[in-house]
Amino acid sequence: MIPWDKLHGAMTHFPIALLLFSTACDFVSVMLKKLPFARELRSVSLYALPVAALASLGAVISGIGLAKGDLWGRGDFAWHHRFVWPAFGLLMALAVWRLVVREAMSRFGLCLYLILMLLASGLVAAAGYFGGELLLSGGGVPS
Amino acid sequence: MTPREIKGVMAGVVTSAVILVATFTAGGIHRNRYETEAQPGTKSLGPENVAVKGRSYFSQSCAQCHGRDAHGGEYAPSLLKLQISGAHMALVIRSGIKGEMPSFAKKYNEQDVAAIVAYLKTLH
Repeated sequence: MIPWDKLHGAMTHFPIALLLFSTACDFVSVMLKKLPFARELRSVSLYALPVAALASLGAVISGIGLAKGDLWGRGDFAWHHRFVWPAFGLLMALAVWRLVVREAMSRFGLCLYLILMLLASGLVAAAGYFGGELLLSGGGVPS
Repeated sequence: MTPREIKGVMAGVVTSAVILVATFTAGGIHRNRYETEAQPGTKSLGPENVAVKGRSYFSQSCAQCHGRDAHGGEYAPSLLKLQISGAHMALVIRSGIKGEMPSFAKKYNEQDVAAIVAYLKTLH
Protein backbone atom coordinates (compact mmCIF):
# COMPACT_ATOMS: atom_id res chain seq x y z
CA MET A 1 0.00 0.00 0.00
CA ILE A 2 1.33 3.42 -0.95
CA PRO A 3 1.94 5.65 2.12
CA TRP A 4 0.11 8.66 0.67
CA ASP A 5 0.23 10.57 3.96
CA LYS A 6 4.02 10.42 4.09
CA LEU A 7 4.36 11.12 0.36
CA HIS A 8 2.07 14.15 0.58
CA GLY A 9 3.98 15.46 3.58
CA ALA A 10 7.26 14.99 1.76
CA MET A 11 6.18 16.48 -1.57
CA THR A 12 3.95 19.33 -0.61
CA HIS A 13 6.65 21.62 0.77
CA PHE A 14 8.66 21.85 -2.46
CA PRO A 15 6.08 23.77 -4.53
CA ILE A 16 5.24 26.02 -1.57
CA ALA A 17 8.87 26.92 -0.94
CA LEU A 18 9.77 27.29 -4.62
CA LEU A 19 6.77 29.46 -5.45
CA LEU A 20 7.41 31.79 -2.50
CA PHE A 21 11.11 31.88 -3.39
CA SER A 22 10.36 32.66 -7.04
CA THR A 23 7.98 35.46 -6.03
CA ALA A 24 10.55 36.91 -3.63
CA CYS A 25 13.28 36.81 -6.30
CA ASP A 26 11.02 38.57 -8.80
CA PHE A 27 10.07 41.30 -6.36
CA VAL A 28 13.63 41.91 -5.19
CA SER A 29 14.91 42.06 -8.76
CA VAL A 30 12.18 44.51 -9.79
CA MET A 31 12.35 46.72 -6.71
CA LEU A 32 16.12 46.76 -6.50
CA LYS A 33 16.98 46.98 -10.18
CA LYS A 34 20.39 48.43 -9.43
CA LEU A 35 21.52 45.34 -7.60
CA PRO A 36 24.44 43.78 -9.48
CA PHE A 37 22.67 40.42 -9.43
CA ALA A 38 19.12 41.63 -10.19
CA ARG A 39 19.21 39.98 -13.62
CA GLU A 40 20.41 36.71 -12.10
CA LEU A 41 17.54 36.85 -9.62
CA ARG A 42 15.09 37.06 -12.52
CA SER A 43 16.75 33.98 -14.03
CA VAL A 44 16.52 32.13 -10.73
CA SER A 45 12.82 32.97 -10.44
CA LEU A 46 12.30 31.88 -14.06
CA TYR A 47 13.64 28.39 -13.30
CA ALA A 48 12.17 28.09 -9.81
CA LEU A 49 8.60 28.61 -11.04
CA PRO A 50 8.37 25.68 -13.52
CA VAL A 51 10.06 23.44 -10.96
CA ALA A 52 7.43 24.55 -8.42
CA ALA A 53 4.71 23.74 -10.96
CA LEU A 54 6.18 20.27 -11.61
CA ALA A 55 6.56 19.63 -7.88
CA SER A 56 2.96 20.69 -7.32
CA LEU A 57 1.85 17.83 -9.59
CA GLY A 58 3.45 15.40 -7.14
CA ALA A 59 1.86 17.18 -4.20
CA VAL A 60 -1.58 17.13 -5.83
CA ILE A 61 -1.36 13.48 -6.91
CA SER A 62 -0.26 12.37 -3.43
CA GLY A 63 -2.99 14.56 -1.91
CA ILE A 64 -5.65 12.92 -4.07
CA GLY A 65 -4.31 9.52 -3.04
CA LEU A 66 -4.36 10.55 0.61
CA ALA A 67 -7.92 11.88 0.44
CA LYS A 68 -9.11 8.83 -1.57
CA GLY A 69 -10.22 11.11 -4.37
CA ASP A 70 -12.28 13.41 -2.16
CA LEU A 71 -11.53 16.71 -3.90
CA TRP A 72 -13.59 18.96 -1.65
CA GLY A 73 -14.65 17.56 1.75
CA ARG A 74 -15.91 19.55 4.75
CA GLY A 75 -14.49 21.79 7.46
CA ASP A 76 -10.74 22.43 7.31
CA PHE A 77 -10.50 19.84 4.58
CA ALA A 78 -12.80 21.95 2.39
CA TRP A 79 -10.92 25.14 3.27
CA HIS A 80 -7.65 23.46 2.30
CA HIS A 81 -9.18 22.59 -1.07
CA ARG A 82 -10.77 26.02 -1.56
CA PHE A 83 -7.26 27.45 -1.67
CA VAL A 84 -5.41 24.51 -3.21
CA TRP A 85 -7.30 24.31 -6.49
CA PRO A 86 -7.08 28.01 -7.46
CA ALA A 87 -3.43 28.04 -6.36
CA PHE A 88 -2.66 24.95 -8.42
CA GLY A 89 -4.40 26.31 -11.52
CA LEU A 90 -2.78 29.72 -11.17
CA LEU A 91 0.66 28.22 -10.58
CA MET A 92 0.38 26.12 -13.75
CA ALA A 93 -0.80 29.08 -15.81
CA LEU A 94 1.93 31.38 -14.49
CA ALA A 95 4.65 28.80 -15.07
CA VAL A 96 3.62 28.28 -18.69
CA TRP A 97 3.23 32.02 -19.25
CA ARG A 98 6.67 32.69 -17.83
CA LEU A 99 8.28 29.95 -19.90
CA VAL A 100 6.74 31.37 -23.08
CA VAL A 101 7.48 35.03 -22.35
CA ARG A 102 10.73 34.62 -20.37
CA GLU A 103 12.32 38.08 -19.90
CA ALA A 104 10.47 39.77 -22.75
CA MET A 105 7.76 41.30 -20.57
CA SER A 106 6.08 44.64 -21.16
CA ARG A 107 5.56 46.94 -18.18
CA PHE A 108 1.88 46.00 -17.97
CA GLY A 109 2.70 42.30 -18.40
CA LEU A 110 5.27 42.44 -15.61
CA CYS A 111 2.86 44.23 -13.25
CA LEU A 112 0.12 41.71 -13.97
CA TYR A 113 2.56 38.82 -13.56
CA LEU A 114 3.80 40.12 -10.19
CA ILE A 115 0.25 40.66 -8.89
CA LEU A 116 -0.73 37.14 -9.93
CA MET A 117 2.44 35.72 -8.36
CA LEU A 118 1.52 37.47 -5.11
CA LEU A 119 -2.00 36.08 -5.35
CA ALA A 120 -0.70 32.55 -6.03
CA SER A 121 1.69 32.84 -3.07
CA GLY A 122 -1.16 33.93 -0.80
CA LEU A 123 -3.37 31.07 -1.98
CA VAL A 124 -0.58 28.54 -1.49
CA ALA A 125 0.19 29.92 1.98
CA ALA A 126 -3.50 29.69 2.95
CA ALA A 127 -3.75 26.14 1.56
CA GLY A 128 -0.65 25.22 3.55
CA TYR A 129 -2.13 26.78 6.68
CA PHE A 130 -5.34 24.75 6.44
CA GLY A 131 -3.32 21.66 5.55
CA GLY A 132 -1.41 22.18 8.78
CA GLU A 133 -4.68 22.67 10.67
CA LEU A 134 -5.82 19.31 9.31
CA LEU A 135 -2.74 17.69 10.76
CA LEU A 136 -3.07 19.33 14.14
CA SER A 137 -6.81 19.10 14.57
CA GLY A 138 -7.63 15.68 13.30
CA GLY A 139 -6.70 15.34 9.66
CA GLY A 140 -4.36 12.50 10.42
CA VAL A 141 -0.72 12.75 11.30
CA PRO A 142 1.45 9.78 10.57
CA SER A 143 2.25 8.52 14.03
CA MET B 1 0.68 43.52 -23.80
CA THR B 2 2.88 42.21 -26.58
CA PRO B 3 1.70 39.40 -28.92
CA ARG B 4 4.17 37.06 -27.22
CA GLU B 5 2.67 37.83 -23.83
CA ILE B 6 -0.84 37.24 -25.13
CA LYS B 7 0.36 33.93 -26.58
CA GLY B 8 1.85 33.11 -23.16
CA VAL B 9 -1.41 33.95 -21.38
CA MET B 10 -3.40 31.78 -23.78
CA ALA B 11 -0.96 28.88 -23.40
CA GLY B 12 -1.01 29.26 -19.61
CA VAL B 13 -4.80 29.36 -19.34
CA VAL B 14 -5.26 26.38 -21.67
CA THR B 15 -2.58 24.29 -19.90
CA SER B 16 -4.00 25.16 -16.50
CA ALA B 17 -7.55 24.28 -17.57
CA VAL B 18 -6.43 20.97 -19.11
CA ILE B 19 -4.45 20.00 -16.00
CA LEU B 20 -7.31 20.94 -13.64
CA VAL B 21 -9.84 18.97 -15.69
CA ALA B 22 -7.45 15.99 -15.80
CA THR B 23 -6.89 16.25 -12.03
CA PHE B 24 -10.59 16.36 -11.22
CA THR B 25 -11.31 13.51 -13.62
CA ALA B 26 -8.53 11.40 -12.12
CA GLY B 27 -9.76 12.27 -8.62
CA GLY B 28 -13.29 11.22 -9.53
CA ILE B 29 -12.06 7.93 -11.01
CA HIS B 30 -9.94 7.27 -7.92
CA ARG B 31 -12.87 8.01 -5.64
CA ASN B 32 -15.20 5.71 -7.59
CA ARG B 33 -12.60 2.96 -7.49
CA TYR B 34 -12.11 3.43 -3.74
CA GLU B 35 -15.84 3.30 -3.11
CA THR B 36 -16.21 0.20 -5.31
CA GLU B 37 -13.28 -1.49 -3.54
CA ALA B 38 -14.69 -0.61 -0.16
CA GLN B 39 -17.98 -2.18 -1.12
CA PRO B 40 -17.12 -5.92 -1.40
CA GLY B 41 -17.16 -6.21 2.37
CA THR B 42 -20.09 -3.89 2.56
CA LYS B 43 -21.97 -5.58 -0.28
CA SER B 44 -21.75 -9.07 1.11
CA LEU B 45 -22.84 -7.85 4.52
CA GLY B 46 -25.34 -5.18 3.52
CA PRO B 47 -25.06 -1.58 4.70
CA GLU B 48 -26.83 -2.11 8.02
CA ASN B 49 -24.68 -5.07 8.94
CA VAL B 50 -21.56 -3.13 8.06
CA ALA B 51 -22.57 -0.46 10.53
CA VAL B 52 -23.22 -3.19 13.13
CA LYS B 53 -19.76 -4.57 12.47
CA GLY B 54 -18.40 -1.03 12.74
CA ARG B 55 -20.17 -0.59 16.07
CA SER B 56 -18.49 -3.73 17.33
CA TYR B 57 -15.07 -2.35 16.37
CA PHE B 58 -16.03 0.97 17.89
CA SER B 59 -16.89 -0.73 21.19
CA GLN B 60 -13.58 -2.58 21.15
CA SER B 61 -11.26 0.29 20.33
CA CYS B 62 -12.97 3.69 20.47
CA ALA B 63 -15.59 3.57 23.21
CA GLN B 64 -13.01 3.66 26.00
CA CYS B 65 -12.22 7.27 25.17
CA HIS B 66 -15.16 8.48 23.06
CA GLY B 67 -17.83 6.93 25.25
CA ARG B 68 -19.95 3.84 24.73
CA ASP B 69 -22.45 5.74 22.59
CA ALA B 70 -19.85 8.11 21.11
CA HIS B 71 -21.13 10.96 23.29
CA GLY B 72 -17.57 11.79 24.27
CA GLY B 73 -15.58 11.04 27.37
CA GLU B 74 -13.08 12.51 29.74
CA TYR B 75 -10.26 12.24 27.23
CA ALA B 76 -11.94 12.47 23.85
CA PRO B 77 -14.71 14.50 22.18
CA SER B 78 -18.17 13.43 21.10
CA LEU B 79 -18.37 11.86 17.66
CA LEU B 80 -22.03 12.64 17.15
CA LYS B 81 -22.85 14.82 14.15
CA LEU B 82 -19.29 14.90 12.84
CA GLN B 83 -18.92 17.55 10.15
CA ILE B 84 -16.23 15.76 8.16
CA SER B 85 -16.37 13.45 5.14
CA GLY B 86 -16.11 9.67 5.36
CA ALA B 87 -12.69 9.81 3.71
CA HIS B 88 -11.57 12.26 6.36
CA MET B 89 -12.91 10.02 9.16
CA ALA B 90 -11.07 7.04 7.68
CA LEU B 91 -7.91 9.11 7.49
CA VAL B 92 -8.11 10.04 11.18
CA ILE B 93 -8.82 6.43 12.21
CA ARG B 94 -5.91 5.12 10.19
CA SER B 95 -3.40 7.82 11.03
CA GLY B 96 -4.49 9.00 14.47
CA ILE B 97 -3.88 12.48 15.86
CA LYS B 98 -0.43 13.23 17.12
CA GLY B 99 -0.34 13.27 20.91
CA GLU B 100 -4.11 12.70 21.18
CA MET B 101 -5.28 9.59 19.40
CA PRO B 102 -3.39 6.46 18.37
CA SER B 103 -3.25 5.13 14.82
CA PHE B 104 -5.43 2.11 14.08
CA ALA B 105 -3.86 1.34 10.70
CA LYS B 106 -2.22 -1.84 11.97
CA LYS B 107 -5.25 -3.06 13.89
CA TYR B 108 -7.92 -2.48 11.23
CA ASN B 109 -7.74 -2.98 7.46
CA GLU B 110 -9.49 -0.78 4.90
CA GLN B 111 -12.80 -2.65 5.14
CA ASP B 112 -12.80 -2.56 8.93
CA VAL B 113 -12.14 1.19 8.86
CA ALA B 114 -14.95 1.57 6.31
CA ALA B 115 -17.23 -0.29 8.72
CA ILE B 116 -16.32 2.06 11.58
CA VAL B 117 -16.96 5.04 9.29
CA ALA B 118 -20.32 3.52 8.30
CA TYR B 119 -21.22 3.25 11.98
CA LEU B 120 -20.11 6.83 12.72
CA LYS B 121 -22.27 8.04 9.82
CA THR B 122 -25.31 6.44 11.42
CA LEU B 123 -24.78 8.81 14.36
CA HIS B 124 -25.39 11.93 12.23
